[in-house]
This record gives sequence, structure tokens and C-alpha cells, in this order.
Amino acid sequence: MLEIYVTFVAMVAISIYCIACKSNLIKKLLGLGILTDAIHLLIISTTFRDKGIAPILTPENVNLFSSFSVDPLPQALVLTSIVINLSTTALALALAVAAYRRFKTLDTEKMRTLGG
Amino acid sequence: MIMIMLFVLFSSAFLTLLSKKYIVSIAGIAFAFASMLFMSLTPDMQVFYFSGWVAPLGITWAMDRMSLLMGVLVTGVALACAVFSARYVSHDKNKYYTLLCLLTIGLMGISLTGDIFNLYVFMEITSIASYALIAFPMKKMSVEGSIKYLIIGSLSSSVILIGIIMLYGLTGTLNMADLATKVSATPEFLAILGVIIAGLATKAALVPLHFWLPDAYSIAPSPISAMLFSVIKGASIYMTMRVVFTIFGLGGVMWVFIIFGVITMIVGGFMALLQNDIKRLLGYSSISQTGYIFVAIGTGTLLGISGGIFHMINNVLLKSMLFLCFGIVIWHTGTRKMDKLGGLGKQMPWVAFCFAVGALSIAGLPPFSGFASKWVIYVATWEISPVLTAISVIMSAITLAYFLKAFSCIFLGQGEKKVVKKTPVLMLAPVLILTAIILVIGIFPETFFSISQQAAGDLLNQAQYIKAVLGVV
Repeated sequence: MLEIYVTFVAMVAISIYCIACKSNLIKKLLGLGILTDAIHLLIISTTFRDKGIAPILTPENVNLFSSFSVDPLPQALVLTSIVINLSTTALALALAVAAYRRFKTLDTEKMRTLGG
Repeated sequence: MIMIMLFVLFSSAFLTLLSKKYIVSIAGIAFAFASMLFMSLTPDMQVFYFSGWVAPLGITWAMDRMSLLMGVLVTGVALACAVFSARYVSHDKNKYYTLLCLLTIGLMGISLTGDIFNLYVFMEITSIASYALIAFPMKKMSVEGSIKYLIIGSLSSSVILIGIIMLYGLTGTLNMADLATKVSATPEFLAILGVIIAGLATKAALVPLHFWLPDAYSIAPSPISAMLFSVIKGASIYMTMRVVFTIFGLGGVMWVFIIFGVITMIVGGFMALLQNDIKRLLGYSSISQTGYIFVAIGTGTLLGISGGIFHMINNVLLKSMLFLCFGIVIWHTGTRKMDKLGGLGKQMPWVAFCFAVGALSIAGLPPFSGFASKWVIYVATWEISPVLTAISVIMSAITLAYFLKAFSCIFLGQGEKKVVKKTPVLMLAPVLILTAIILVIGIFPETFFSISQQAAGDLLNQAQYIKAVLGVV
């Protein structure tokens, strides 16, 4: 379990570095992608079980069921989250294309028409 | 009822895209508004189990008076903005209205849901629709603002998702009522609450997490700015209240909210004084008003929370009305800089009148609606500390100062811009109706205060919520 948490923290650190320190827009969006994947890892790990089995109750596995079956809900949550992430990323990339056409650069430092 | 409403909204969104008739969307949103009004007539708490899975197994929608109040506000403002946009938006109307419908669906879902992961999903629907709507004019500035909002919005959503998952890991449930029975005020749960609140505070733009808001929100087309500043901010505040009071059941004075609320109030007010762009001025004003609401929530008493909810109602109506007013001004003149405007009062007296009502009301002058809600907040904060009341009163005066500045710059004096076109009725009508509602609230504040008091009572009554959803105490 510890490996998973260490990986999670490392991925979050990498993504924060990408978002905060890189000025290229695509690299920022990659950072967002890494962050979401780190969260997916965390979601799956919440109900991780050693030697887990699929939570389908059959006459054969009645004894195993209670001690080894895995909670299926986090997998549904991850699927939902992947779909949401997919649409956000698609929109973000479309906006990046639009920004490149208008500013002729992907450097966010140079995209400064607004006040702040 | 809920299924019909969702079906009508989703199908009107897609029919608009297919048939290119934007009137379909307006009809869909109007239907949602009507059904929300109809549902809020029932005083009892209504619970809806999707596809018959009883709580805590399936997705539950639980509607107490607080949810229904938010639902009515959200759909009402969406309807006003949809009618306004009919003449304001000039190209790709079908795509615009499809996105507006999706935005309304997302906001309604946030208001009515009783499941915390469902809340996250609807929050993301709202966010994605609003990223696209901010970028809608596809100018340089709007693309930049939208990208900024997208990055910050995704970050804060991710933080909220981490909090929700940690909550699931500890309790094994996502249903709000079931969570309420399992959560206690131990350090690990309070840490999770901190994570979720950090995400929500970014969405609600509390200082010091406010830096992205004026850039992102004020760049949108005016009717969308109206929705972003009023109901989307309102929805983040609503989510905060749900998490804090319904799930965690906290009571007593919460100094975190009070301190950050006061900082927000002060910074927002002073930044608004410095602005030249009229939409940025309103943006900072909206940050400042959020500070008031958070101070009211932080008092933790029934009086304070009902004052906060009352102020939220006022703020939603006022902000949407003022942005639509500015929308008319920008539509006529094509500029947003105050130093280029002037002397418009004679040319559009109705807009000037509505703006004056809104400005005086938001500054909290006696015969208007803002006074009533701010008075409740003053009384509630007096019990905590008179210093808070004093700061609130001073910030009200500053609010008046920057709104008077905006009013005199735009509507009085001499200006180079002339109004040549006639204001369309479809643009003027939503503004006038919202102004009428604001005036009515100002004349009969007791009625609206008792509505928000009932909403606050439902919000604080955790046992009733749990009983209605789970069927046991």
C-alpha cells in the first residue's frame, strides 16, 4: 500500500511542478492530466485488497466472498472521472489550438492581454 | 417530476443543436423554472431515488427548502439570461443555447443532489459548459481568460475529488445523509473537511484564492458573466454550506470563515475602487459580497446563516441584474472602459434607473433589499464581536463609493459615445423584471427573510435530513 501512496504523492508533486513552473500551455495541460491520473490511482487504492476477487456471489465462493471480494464502487467512480477528464482535456486542447492561432505562440507568459 | 424535468432539459439542449431553433432551449429552461417553483410549494422534504435503488445504495436526490430555493434562483436567473441572450448573441446561437442548457442542468444538479460524488459530476458539467461559454466569442482575450479559468477550475475540482475520495475511504459511503451519520469531529475528518473547503473556496474566490476570477469571469459575454458571478458563485457557496452543515454538522463560531470572509470583504472592496473596466469593478464587488456571506456563515447561528442565505439571494438577483444592465450599455457602445463612457442617463433612462436601484441596494441603503440582508448580518456579527460589525458597515460605505463612481462615470456628465439603436424589448424586459423583484424584496423583507430562515433551519436540521433520506433516525 505504501508504494501506491508514495507514487501518488510523487505524481501530484510532478503535476504541480508542471502547472506552476512551466510556461508552455501543453506542458501545463499534461500536468493536469498527471494530477487526474494520480487521483484515479488513489481512488482505486482505497479499496485495494490482497488476493482480491471480483464481487460476484456464486454458490462456490460463498466463503471467499466476504473476505476477498473487492468493492466495485471505486471502479465505477474512476470510469466516471476518466470520462469527465477526457472531456475537459478535449476542450482544453481545442482552446490551446485556438490560442495558438490567435497568439502565434503557446507560451503563457506571452498571452497577456488581460490585466492580471 | 424530476425525471421529466431532466429529460426535457437534456432533450431541449440536443434539439437546439440539431434543429437550430434557440427558442427550444428557452422553453426548456422556462419549463425547469416552472417545475422548480411548483416543487417548492410542497413544504415537506422530497427525496427521489434514481432507478429505485434505495439510499444509501443508489444515487439520491434530496430536496429540502434550501435546495429548492437554490433551484428556483438558478433556473430563474438562467431564464432571464436566456431571454436576454436572444438579441445579444449574434452568431452560432444554437451552440450557445446548447451550452446554456447544459450549464443550467449542472447548476440544478448541484442544488438538488443528495450524493456527494454526484455533486462533483454536476460541478464538472457546470465547469465545462462555463469554460466553453467564456471562450465563446473566440477573441484573443476570451480564449486567454477561458484557459486560465480551465486550469484553476480543474485544479480546484481535483482537490475536491481528493477530499471526496478520502471521505469514501474512511466511511465507505457517498450518500450525504449516510455520511452525516458516520462522520464525527475527529482530526482526520477535519483534515478532509479542510481539503474539500480549500477546493470550494477556490471556486467561490475567497481571498487569497481570488486572483483568477476577474480575468476569467469578466471576459465572458455579458449574460454569461451575469450567470457566472451570481449563480455559479452562489452554487459554490451553497456546496460549502451543504458540506459544512449537512454532512459535518458543525456548529458554533467558525473563525476560519470569519477571518477569510473579512479579508475577502476588505480586499475585494478596495480593489473595486481602483478599476476602470466596468465588468472588473463588478467582479471585485462580487468578491467583496462573498466575504459578507462567509462572515455570516462563520457565525454559525441560525440568525447568521439565514442572514447569509438572504444576502446570497439578494446578491444573485442584484449581480445578474447589474451585469445585464452593463450588457445593454456594452451592446450599445461597444466599450467597457468607464473613462470612455458618459452621459448615457438621458439616452437610456430605464437602464440608468435599474442600475441606480441595484447600486443603492447592494450598498445596503435602507429602503432597498440589500439593507435588510446586511442588517441581519450586522445583528448576527454583533453577538460575536462589535469589531466585525464595524468593518462590515465601513465596507458598505466603500461599496456605495465605487458604485456611485461607476454611476456618475457611465450615466452622468458628457461622453463621446452616442446611442443610435433602440434597446430591444427582449433585452430590457429581464432587467426590468429583476429590478421589480428587487424592489419587492426591499418593500417586504420579512417574507423573504422568513423564506431564508426556513432554508437555514432545514440546513441546520441534520436529523430531519437523515430521517427523510434513510428512513431511520
